[in-house]
Parts: sequence; C-alpha cells; structure tokens
Amino acid sequence: MDDKFLALADTVKEGDIDKGVAEVEKLLAGGVKPVALFTECIEPTLNILGQQFSVLEIFLPELMIAADVVNAIQEVVEPILRESGEANISKGTAVIATVYGDLHDIGKNMVSLMMQVNGFKVYDMGVDVSPQALLAKSEEVDADLLCLSGLMMPSMPFMRETIELAKANPKLADMKIMVGGGPVTDQWASDNNADGYADDAMGAVKKGIELVA
Amino acid sequence: MNHRIRLFDVIERSLSGEVMSERDFDMKKIAIETQKMVKKYDINFKGDNFLMHDQGFLNRVWDAGIELLATTGVYSKDTGRVISYTEAEIRDLIKLAPKEAIYGADGDAVLEVSRTPDDTRLVTNMGGSVSVPMPNEYFVPCMMSYIQEPLVEMHCPTTNMEISNGMEIRTKSPLEIIAAWEEVKLFRYASSILGREGMAHHGIGISVSDIGQLATSFMMKKTDSHCIGIISELKVDNTILNKIAQTVMLDAQANPYANPIYGGLGGGVNGQLVLMTAEMIACSIIFLGTTVGTTPTHPNLFISTNKELMQITSIVFAAISTNSNIMTRLTQTMAGGPVTKTLLYEVIASTIAATKSGVSRLQGPRSATGAVTGACSGLEARLQGEVIRAAVGLTQEKAEEIIQKAYSMYVDDLKTQPYGKPFWEAYDVHSIKPSDEWQKMYEDVKNEAISWGLPL
Repeated sequence: MDDKFLALADTVKEGDIDKGVAEVEKLLAGGVKPVALFTECIEPTLNILGQQFSVLEIFLPELMIAADVVNAIQEVVEPILRESGEANISKGTAVIATVYGDLHDIGKNMVSLMMQVNGFKVYDMGVDVSPQALLAKSEEVDADLLCLSGLMMPSMPFMRETIELAKANPKLADMKIMVGGGPVTDQWASDNNADGYADDAMGAVKKGIELVA
Repeated sequence: MNHRIRLFDVIERSLSGEVMSERDFDMKKIAIETQKMVKKYDINFKGDNFLMHDQGFLNRVWDAGIELLATTGVYSKDTGRVISYTEAEIRDLIKLAPKEAIYGADGDAVLEVSRTPDDTRLVTNMGGSVSVPMPNEYFVPCMMSYIQEPLVEMHCPTTNMEISNGMEIRTKSPLEIIAAWEEVKLFRYASSILGREGMAHHGIGISVSDIGQLATSFMMKKTDSHCIGIISELKVDNTILNKIAQTVMLDAQANPYANPIYGGLGGGVNGQLVLMTAEMIACSIIFLGTTVGTTPTHPNLFISTNKELMQITSIVFAAISTNSNIMTRLTQTMAGGPVTKTLLYEVIASTIAATKSGVSRLQGPRSATGAVTGACSGLEARLQGEVIRAAVGLTQEKAEEIIQKAYSMYVDDLKTQPYGKPFWEAYDVHSIKPSDEWQKMYEDVKNEAISWGLPL
C-alpha cells in the first residue's frame, strides 16, 4: 500500500470515523481519485481485517467499527463518484436475513458485516423474516444477491419457500440466492435450487463475489 | 420474593427501561463495555491449562460479570428498551438462587445441587443430542437409546424431522403445535415402556417459537426442565418472555440458557469470560432460572470442545460456583459423531473439565456439531455419566492431566470433524443395542482412559 494511504488504513482499523473522514477529505483535496481510495486503500485493508477475522485474530467488534468508518467514508465519496461518473465501487447489492421463525442472529450478523466490509451494499433485515418480506425488499432495492441464514430445522421450510418464490418471480430473475446456517449443507442448497452455499462468513464473501460476478 | 412478583418486575422494566437501538446496544453496551470490564478487572487469561485454580482471578471474573450486567442490562427487542438492574439489586437477587432442585419424579427423580469444583456430589447427566435432525422412524428408537441408560437421569430429545403423518415441521404454524404435542407424547411413551415414567423431560426442544411450548405446557410436569433460550447476546423478545411467564405461572422450573458466540460481540477468551458470566447471572435473576445453561459455540467449528471454549466454560463455572449458589448447565457440542473415537475422547475431556469446575448438569453429548442428520446415540451419554462419576474424586492436578491427554487424542480431528455413522448404523434399531463396532470402540477408549488414571 502506498504510504499516503497508511493513515487512512489506520483509521479504518481503529474505528475512528472522524479521523477517517478527515483523512479522506485531505486525500481528495490532494488530488487522489475517489476510486483509488477504495481500490488502493480501503479494500486491501478490509481484506486484511477479513482474513484476520476468519482465523479469529480479531473479533466481531473490530469488524463492526471498521464497517462504521467505511460507511461514513462512502457517504462522503459516493456523491463525488456519482457526479464524476467514475466506476461504481460497490460489488453488488445484497439482502440478508435469518429466515422466518428463527431468532439466531450472530452468524448472520457476521456474514452481513463481512459482506459490507468487502464492498457489498447490504440491507440487513434482521431475524425471523418472512419469505414475502424478503422478496419485497429484494425487489425494492433491485438486489443482486439474497443471503438466507437458518439454524433451526423447523425454519428450513421457510428458507426453501423463499427460494421457490424468488425463482418464480420474473422481477428477481437475475438475483442469486446464497444460503447457510447449522442444518444447511451444500447438498441441501443444491437440492433446493439455491445458487450458492457458504459455511462461514469468509466463505460467504467469496461465494457472494463469485455469484454476482 | 416469589417468582410471580419477580416476573411482574421484569415485565415492568421491559416496558419502562431506557430506549435504545439494537445496534447501539450491541456496540455501545455489549462490545465496548465488555472490553472495559476486561481492562478494569485485569482479566488477562493466558496458558494451556483447562482448569483454573487462581481464586483471585475467578473472583475478578465474577465481579466483572456482575458489573457488566449492571452496565448493559438485557435488551428487549419488542419494546426497544433495556431491562436494567443495579449492581446492588443483582447481588441481592443472586442470593435467591436455589441451592438444589428435584427434576423428575418417583424412582426417576434426581436431586440437582449447587456444586463447587471439588464437590464429590454428582453432576446431573442429561443425555440427549439437542438439535440433531432425526428422521421420524428413528425418533423413538434413538430416544430409547438414551432413556434406557441407567446413568442418564434426564433427557432432551433430538429434533424430529417430520410429524407422524410425514409432514415437515414448520415453526410458528399449527405444525409446530402438533410437533410439540408429539414430542412430549413420544417421550412419555418411550420412558414408560422402559419403566422410567418419572424421568424429567427437557424441552420442548423442538419448539422454536412460543406457540409449541405454550400449547403443550399442560403436558409438562413441574418437575420437568422447561428449556428457554435467550437471544445472543443478552437480548430477549416477547416470545421468550411468554415462555418464562407460562413457566412461572405453572410454578414449574425454568431452565433458560444463552448461546455466547466465541469471537462475536464479546470478543476472544477474556471478553467471553466476562460476557458468559453476565449472561448466566441474567438467566438466574432476570429469566428466573432454577438451573441456568450455556451452549457456547465456535463460529467456524460449531463445537464447544476446542481449547479456548473449554477454558472459558471451566473458568466461568468455577467463578460462578465459588461465588454463588447458582446451578449451571453446559451443553457439550462435539466434533465427532457415533462410531468415532474422536467423540469419546471429547466426552472424556469436556466432561472432566466441567465436572471439576463445579457445573451442576451436563447436557449432551451433542454429537457431530448437533447438525448432522441422525448423528447421535445413547452410548456417548452413557460414557458421559460414567466419566462424571469417575471425575468427582480426582484431584485437580490429575483431572488436568487426563483432560490434556484426552484433548491431545482429538485435537487434530476438530477441523476434519469425523461425523461417523448415523444412529441407524451405530445401533441395532430393534434391540436398541450398539453395533459391535461401536461397542468395541467404546470399550477400547474406556480402557485407554483407565490406563491414564481415570477410575471408570
């Protein structure tokens, strides 16, 4: 990473929103292109954090504060990007939730954060979300990816139903569906017409990128 | 103060507490305050030992857990408010925790007690592999494989995959109610034909929402263990309060539990020590638990038998048991499944660690991560009961030595997770006897453990 980006990378790692935004403004004023902020600094930094989290060298709170900084930076940079017509920095739009009848949220939250810090625009609908609500949100935000988490066997029918309804909806024809959670397996995903399966947060990011590519 | 009055108090606080967003509660309360307590109380665990003998450290973990709970409270997702108690209130309420309780009835009654790490009184052996999906045709035979074991004192069934007409179970639907009815009826049937009508049922494990539990509460006995999971970390909603209200109004015994996630909001080992302690205290004083449980989970391995989680649970149980009467329960989640030596070594290590840390009840073993269809059997619960009885008389030093030995036998398998064979291959499902292969493996590992000095 170029030395001029080191201070910005530190603000992401340390979760310092004010310093992060100030550093971005300083770099922009110095002539750095907005896209370069992401491609040359934020994405590599988040990749490192993601790798560290996947082997539990850092933990969920560190990821959460990094995500807060990145979200604040995006708010500053996105209007400039839109105005300048530079490339879209988002890897895609994802809707994520734990399916109906299931209140487990931490695994889903980990995936949600990892998706965010790796460049997805994520709409996290929380837990216990009905198939109908998931599809309505996916349509509303024109989602590229729907991520479904489930840890309870009696909630699995709702995951399958969500997939069935999404696949039958022509407005969501291009949307990919990724599933995960305790009772979910690669085989279950395949048998139930999901496009992808991941068994942990880092795997979800890799599979998500692959699916929307 | 009786539980009904305390319940009204909890409900009132859930309606009048500080308003806060869930995100702020997660980040500003749980994540940040946990790390503040880690620093304030100098919770800095290092080392390879599974058992903790430094009482000063245990006391700091205990005090940090109390102060964390006083700082965070419990978040009500339905009201968007925090259910708060002062530190003085928490300390007073902890004193009301029961020292003992009877689960089950008649000849199958078991007296569960508040233990200390070197207590020679036994840990209750609640056999059963909660959450393992079980095809309907094997649901009762598998249940019987646990109930028939003399050392299994309570039972928590697996998850039946279908109701009796073959329909898949759906939560929050009439099918959940029917499934819950069938679970209780089939448990009573299985325990009856095995002559153990009085055995306590822990559940209704299958009931995800409140409707299954509420619909069947009249079928549950006061001496059953009314299982109620709270939301990680330190959260609740009205479906959970509904279950608690019903249990309290029945004068039955609530068994709330929390599922702290290693690496989650509490962070690593030191944060988890404080957060898990706070959660178990919350289960006692806010969720009115007779016995309070934890089902710690590794986010990548989905087990509780890796080194860090065993160290965390051992320290937390020791901190709680040496500072209070709170009766604790551990759900042991294993990487190995039936017909693997891995599972048996995990049972030995984890059971000794918890027993020698003052736990009151062991639930499990939850074989093969608790998520593999059919992957559990009663034989591993037999071993769990045998190890409890062998472990209580061990010195802490000898216990540590055997845990280390058993751990070394399975540590390399934690990532490969040998799921072994499903129940219907591990057992003859008609005679409900272990296969020759599984029986021999069990005897071989037992003999190995005996050679290490475990008096099985």
